[in-house]
Parts: sequence; structure tokens; C-alpha cells
Amino acid sequence: MGHYVSPLRIPLIEGNKTYHDITNDICAPTERTPSALWVLGFAISVAFLALYVFIITWTIWKGIGSWNLNRTIGWGWDITNFVWWVGIGHAGTLISAILLLFRQRWRTGVNRAAEAMTIFAVICAGQFPIFHMGRVWLAFFVFPYPNTRGPLWLNFNSPLMWDVFALSTYFTVSLLFWYTGLVPDFATVRDRAKGLRWKIYNFLSFGWTGSAKHWQRWESLSLILAGLSTPLVLSVHTIVSFDFATSVIPGWHTTIFPPYFVAGAIFSGFAMVLTLMIIARKVLNLEQYITIEHIESMNKVILLTGSIVGVAYLTELFVAWYSGYIYEQFAFYNRVLGPYWWSYVGMMTCNVISPQFFWSKKIRRSIAWTFGLSIVVNIGMWFERFVIIATTLARDYLPSSWSYYTPSWVEVGMFLGSIGLFFTCFLIFTRVAPVVAIAEIKSILKVAGDQYIGPKAKKHDNH
Amino acid sequence: MNNQFVFEKKQKTTLGIFMLVGVVCMILSYLMDDGTLHMRFWSNYLTNTVYFLGIAFIITFVLHAKVLMYSGWHVAFQRVWEAFSLFLIVGIILMIPIIAGIWGHFHHLYHWADKAAVASDVVLKGKSSFLNPVWYTAGTLIIVGVWYFFFAKRFRNLSVQEDKEFDPNYTLHKKIKVNAGVFLPIAAFTSAALIWLWIMSVDAHWYSTLYAWYATASWWVGSLALTILTLIYLKSKGYLDIVTTEHLHDLGKYMFAFTIFWTYLWFSQYMLIWYANIGEETTYFHVRMRKFPVLFYGNLVLNFVLPFIILMRNDTKRKYGTLILTSIIVFVGHWFDFFQMVRPGTWLSEIEHANHAAHATHASHAAEHAAPVLSKWGYPEGFVNGVSIPGLLEIGILLGFVGLFFWFVFMQLEKASLVPKNNPYLEETEHHHVM
Repeated sequence: MGHYVSPLRIPLIEGNKTYHDITNDICAPTERTPSALWVLGFAISVAFLALYVFIITWTIWKGIGSWNLNRTIGWGWDITNFVWWVGIGHAGTLISAILLLFRQRWRTGVNRAAEAMTIFAVICAGQFPIFHMGRVWLAFFVFPYPNTRGPLWLNFNSPLMWDVFALSTYFTVSLLFWYTGLVPDFATVRDRAKGLRWKIYNFLSFGWTGSAKHWQRWESLSLILAGLSTPLVLSVHTIVSFDFATSVIPGWHTTIFPPYFVAGAIFSGFAMVLTLMIIARKVLNLEQYITIEHIESMNKVILLTGSIVGVAYLTELFVAWYSGYIYEQFAFYNRVLGPYWWSYVGMMTCNVISPQFFWSKKIRRSIAWTFGLSIVVNIGMWFERFVIIATTLARDYLPSSWSYYTPSWVEVGMFLGSIGLFFTCFLIFTRVAPVVAIAEIKSILKVAGDQYIGPKAKKHDNH
Repeated sequence: MNNQFVFEKKQKTTLGIFMLVGVVCMILSYLMDDGTLHMRFWSNYLTNTVYFLGIAFIITFVLHAKVLMYSGWHVAFQRVWEAFSLFLIVGIILMIPIIAGIWGHFHHLYHWADKAAVASDVVLKGKSSFLNPVWYTAGTLIIVGVWYFFFAKRFRNLSVQEDKEFDPNYTLHKKIKVNAGVFLPIAAFTSAALIWLWIMSVDAHWYSTLYAWYATASWWVGSLALTILTLIYLKSKGYLDIVTTEHLHDLGKYMFAFTIFWTYLWFSQYMLIWYANIGEETTYFHVRMRKFPVLFYGNLVLNFVLPFIILMRNDTKRKYGTLILTSIIVFVGHWFDFFQMVRPGTWLSEIEHANHAAHATHASHAAEHAAPVLSKWGYPEGFVNGVSIPGLLEIGILLGFVGLFFWFVFMQLEKASLVPKNNPYLEETEHHHVM
């Protein structure tokens, strides 16, 4: 990256910041007592987390019968929530790996929080298949290891099995990537701390001294992890899509599923990043680091991926007709006009129509609109998974087993509880770690600070 | 710095010879084919037309996308891409004989264009409101026409106009940007429809939702290879000093990344169809694997194994030798991919047509006649030139299209400076650094 910046580029760091200002601003939230707003948010989140613990206890105690799944509809809210949460995680990996490869400078403002979100989202996602197993105390059966269960061995032909590997790899690499980025930042926090706090952050930063050798190793590790994460962005949701697409169920078995699931995942992930960042930038006073420019860029990604998802929906519909295969045609007829028509309408409205508002620059740069639409997209992507799962299962090959499904209070509670789990983790994160990557923001200051580029730039500094 | 390209006589001679070879090979393929349908000729004609038209399309798409993405590094060779994108107009003209053939029934590329066949075929009848001459004609002419006149041509005009005078407000650039916003969704929807019409419908019964994206990815990787080859050639002639190893390195990375992406789509399509094992779908790959193994496996070797292994290292993306080698492999490889998409289907159409004719003329002795017809027109056994492997004629025809493409591209390059002078990202691309 040279110092030559096109006149069309807009600053990404506002307020004429020095390197010292950046350190102060970003470390501040970890150093002061939490605001009342944070405490309130945390209390609500923990309340939902408590609900989650209760629901899980109930599920284990009573069994999966406490859910409203039936013989026809064996996957309902559980797997819908699983796919929804996995999808949300994708934005973090995309930002940290793929946008790094594409050298998008705006990623530095949001990558840390998005990566954290990825980790928490994957934790939430994992809950659903684990508890869906029923006898959760035997969950370790999913790992392939020499055992005494005789011929009862893992079914390596099953995409559900691949999910176990894909998700655990994804979680591990994402965690390493996130933590690697945090190491120098933890050291920055440590250098400003005293006493026990110093000891904790020193431990967390692995005794980082900031020597050239440390930076060099840090850089090469980051590069290797970026290389590993890039295929992961594609592979994880691809394998999730295989859960459906490898079957012979019309509406599930379609070849566009892998890339379309990935696009949808990024779509929902960015929506969640926006939801979180719009609140975080305000509460933590980070508006000069997570600027309107960042929000606009993310809105563009939402518009793009939302439209890709739209192309995929219409492709599916068209090819269902084109196939001349009556079961395929019926599956899509049922999806649009069947008993769950309302969820299809919800999906189309929220995922395809609502992002089209972002064609307007004004809306892309409006915080209120962005916040509202990000929630709408989150809802829409939940609907999408519900449409794929429940609608399809409700009308299978045998009309005698056609069924309708509404969740029980336990299933609804588990979903709400998982949101509590997510926000509890996220809120703790905002208190203990720098929410914006200090070292990375500093690396773009000279090419993206508003004293160097844009209308407020001091002319003699601008090449 | 020499920024004014001159289309030299020597180049014209060489490209002229390429085209001549192409025409001779096309005539030979028309005459030498022992069938009555001249399928080898038509099949090659469709494969090449779609491949080069697609390259022009995807470059148009990427040019517009780059503007929306605030991309700066590619500006150094933007003029080359502009020249590629204008080839759309030649693509329209090249499609006309195919369209005419559908109406005039002088080729049998598309089984669905055969009214008698459709009448006795429930599946084709079901598709006939899409797979019909009117849609094919209107779709091709209107859609490609819109791509060219409203977008590729307009982009070029605005870009060239920008050269004339420096405008601190970059009004023209902003116009391009608005245009780009309009183009991307249009392009995304329409290209899929055309891919279904042009090539997926060659296997008229078969369908796959991923197909359009797969073919698009193939165009894109092929066009990256062609871009690298063009840039290295232009540099060897003393042009485009502004394009450095850094730009080529990034193009190499693109080629590497999208090679993997193409493979990802290939795998997604293949694996899901193989796994579900539904006869209507597996037939597509079954025929290719059993009867066209060179096409099936060769496709993977050329478009995945070789570029993946060669481009994995950093330095191979920065050296002319390895870049040229890989680009040739990949460019030919994706042409091979389109050959693989088209040829088995047209071969089957030929068989069906022959069987149909046999049944129609000797209805009373259908059973008797079916056997000899099948033995003559059965699946290719072993390597059959121009069917299960591309023969010399195919290579000659490809060469002819390469000649035509570059004749046109060089004509366009001559018309404007090789460097877009007042582009707002010019300074960035001049100082582009990867390492």
C-alpha cells in the first residue's frame, strides 16, 4: 500500500487522530466503569441466558418430546436456528480473511468485533444440533475414535458428520485468528495498566514486547491464518447446505445451494454486524473509527449479497418449472402458495425487497434506516431457513403424512435464550478487549485519516 | 512512455493467417463430418462463439463492478478490458447464423428446436414456452444488444471522453458509476437466462440450478488468462510500462483464486448430483465420465490441477514464463470446458435425430432399423476426433476465433490511449504494490 490515495476515497478515521488518540479512545471502554446502558443491556442478556439454561435443563429432563417436532417434520426451529446462527458467523470470517485479501481498508474498523461475533454465533449455532441429539450425554459419539460400540461407527457418508468437522475447524481457526489479532492489543492495554490488571493482560498478551521479531512472527501467523480462513468462509456454509442438498427431497436437492447458502450467510452476517456496531459505536464512543463510511460499505455488501440471494431464489423457482419434474414443481408451488406461504412472503420481502432500499445513498448513510433494515434482514434470513426446512418437510412424497408444525414454548424459549447467550458473550467482550483492532487501525491512519485525505486534509501532507 | 497502440501490418498478417486457418478448418469440419447434420461444424461454432462472447460479457461485468467497488489497481490495463468488452458486438453477429439455423432448421444443435421431437416428448413440451425460437432470438439479440449499446459501449465512450479534459469533479466517472449500478443486476439476471438458452438447453432434458454460475465462472477465469497473455504481449512490444509485475501478480492471484472458485462450483454441482443419484440428473455426468473421459477428466486437470499447483507459489505469479504457461493452459482449459459442456449434448442430439429419422421412415421395421442406426451413431468408442477429444480441426477453429478476437481488440486499442489519462485512480495504479 503506497501513500498515493485517489481523490475519490473518503477518510475512514475522523477527528484528526494521532496514534496516541487512537490508543486512548479504543482502550477507554475497558478502563472505565461500565455505563448504565451497558449494565442494563447486560442484565437483560443475562436474564435471557438464564432462560436458556432453564430451557436446556427442561429439554434434557423431559426429552425432545417437549419440542413440537413430529414424524413428518423432524427438523423445525432447532435446525433453522442452527443454520441462522452459523450464517451470522460468516461476516466475521469474510471481513478478516477475504476483505484482507482484497485489501479493503474499511475492514479494520469492524473486523475485531465481527470476528468476536463469529465466535459467539458459532457457539450459539452448536447448541442446537447438540441438544437435538436428545441424549446429549452421548454427544461425544460424534467424534471418530476407537470405541467399544462394535460395528456402530460414524457414518462418514453423512453431511451431518461433515458438519461436525467443518464447524469445529471453523471455530478453532476463527478463534485463533481473533486471538492472534488481540495479542498486540492486549499488550497495549497492559502497558496502560497496573497491579493485577497488568498481570492479567500481560498473561493474555503472552508477554508481548512489540519487538520487530514479534511483529514479524505475528504478521506471518496472521497471513497463514488468513489463508486457512479463506476456504473456510466457503466451506462451512457449503457443508451446511449439503445437509439439505445431498438429499433427494425436492426443494432441498438443488445444485445452487452451496454458493447460495454462502451468499446468504454473508448477507445475514453483515446484517448482524451492523446491528451490533451501530449500537457499539454509539455506546463506546467509537463513531470516529466506525464511521458512516464503514456503515455505507457494509450496506453495499448487504445489497450485493441480498441481490445474489434474490437471483438464487428466482433461479430455483425458474428451474423448478423448467425441470419438468412434477415433484420439484410441486415443492416450489407449495413453498410459495402452500400452508406456509406467509413465511415465503416474509423471506422474499425481508431478503430481496428490503435491501433494495440501499440503492439510495441517503438510506445507505442513514443510521436509523440501516439499523431498521439490518433487523429486517436478520428476520428475513431466519425465515429463509424456516422456509427451506419446515415448508419442505411439511409436504413430503406421501400426502398421508403431510403435516403442519408450530413450535412449542420450549423451542421458542431456546431460540430467545440463545440470543441471550450471544449478547452476554458480546457485552463481556466489549468490556475486556479493544473492540476495534488498535494495531490495524493505526496501520491505515496515514492513508485513511481525515487529516491526510479528503476535504479536511492538510494540503501539504497530501501527495 | 508509449501509450498509443499501433496495429502493425505484421500483426494483421499473423492474425489474418489465424483467421484463414480457422475458416479452412471450419469448412473442413463441415465437409468431413460423415453425418448429415454437420454437427461437428455447428458444435464448434457454438462453443467458440459462446466462449468469446462470454469473455466479452464477463469483462463488461467486471469493469462495471470495479467502478462500484472503488477499485484502483486495475486502471493500468482498463483500456485492454474496454477493448475486450466491445467484442460483444461481434458476438451478436456471430450468433446470427445459429439463430437463423433454429428458424431455418439447417442445424440441429438444439433438440428442442425440432418440432416433431417436441411433440412426442412430454418434458420438452413442458419447456417449450421457454425453449423456443422466439425466446432464443429475442433473448440473444435484445439482451446482448442492451449489454453492448447501453453499457459496454457507453462505458467506453465515457472513459475515452474522460481523457480529453481533466475534471476535478470527475463527473464522467460518476456517470459511469451510476451506469454500473444499473448494469450489475441486469447482467446477473440476463446472463443466466442466456446461458440456459445457449448451452444448458443443448442437453435439453437436463437441468441444474448452479449451471449458469458455473459457466460464468468459467468465462471469468478464461478471460483472466487472456488478459494476462494480452498484457505480457503488449509489454513485449514496448507498450504499457504502467503495468508492472505488481499488476500481473494480482492478476495471477485472481486467476489462482478463481480457479479454486471454479473448482468449488464444479464440485458442488457434480457432488450433489452424484450423491442424490437421481437418474434425470446423473445422466449428464454419466455420459461424460463413461463416454467422454478425456473431456471429463481433462477439464479438471487443465482447469484445476495444473493452475492450482503452478500458481500456488508466490514467484510463479510474478514471472512471465510461468504466467504465460499457466495462462495458456487456463485459457485453452476453459475453452475445453465449454467444448465439454456442448459437445456431448450435441452428439446425443445427433443420435436422437438419427433414431427419430429411422423410426419415422421405417416405422414398420423400427426394431430392425434401430440397431444398425445405433451401431453407426452409437456412443463414441475410444478417442474420436472432434467428439470425445478435440481434434486438429477444433484447434484450428479456436485459432481462427483467437485471430478474430484480437483483430477486433487491436482495432479498438488503436482508437484510444492505452492509459486512461484522467482516471481518478490513475495515480494509485501507477504506484501499485503487492509486496
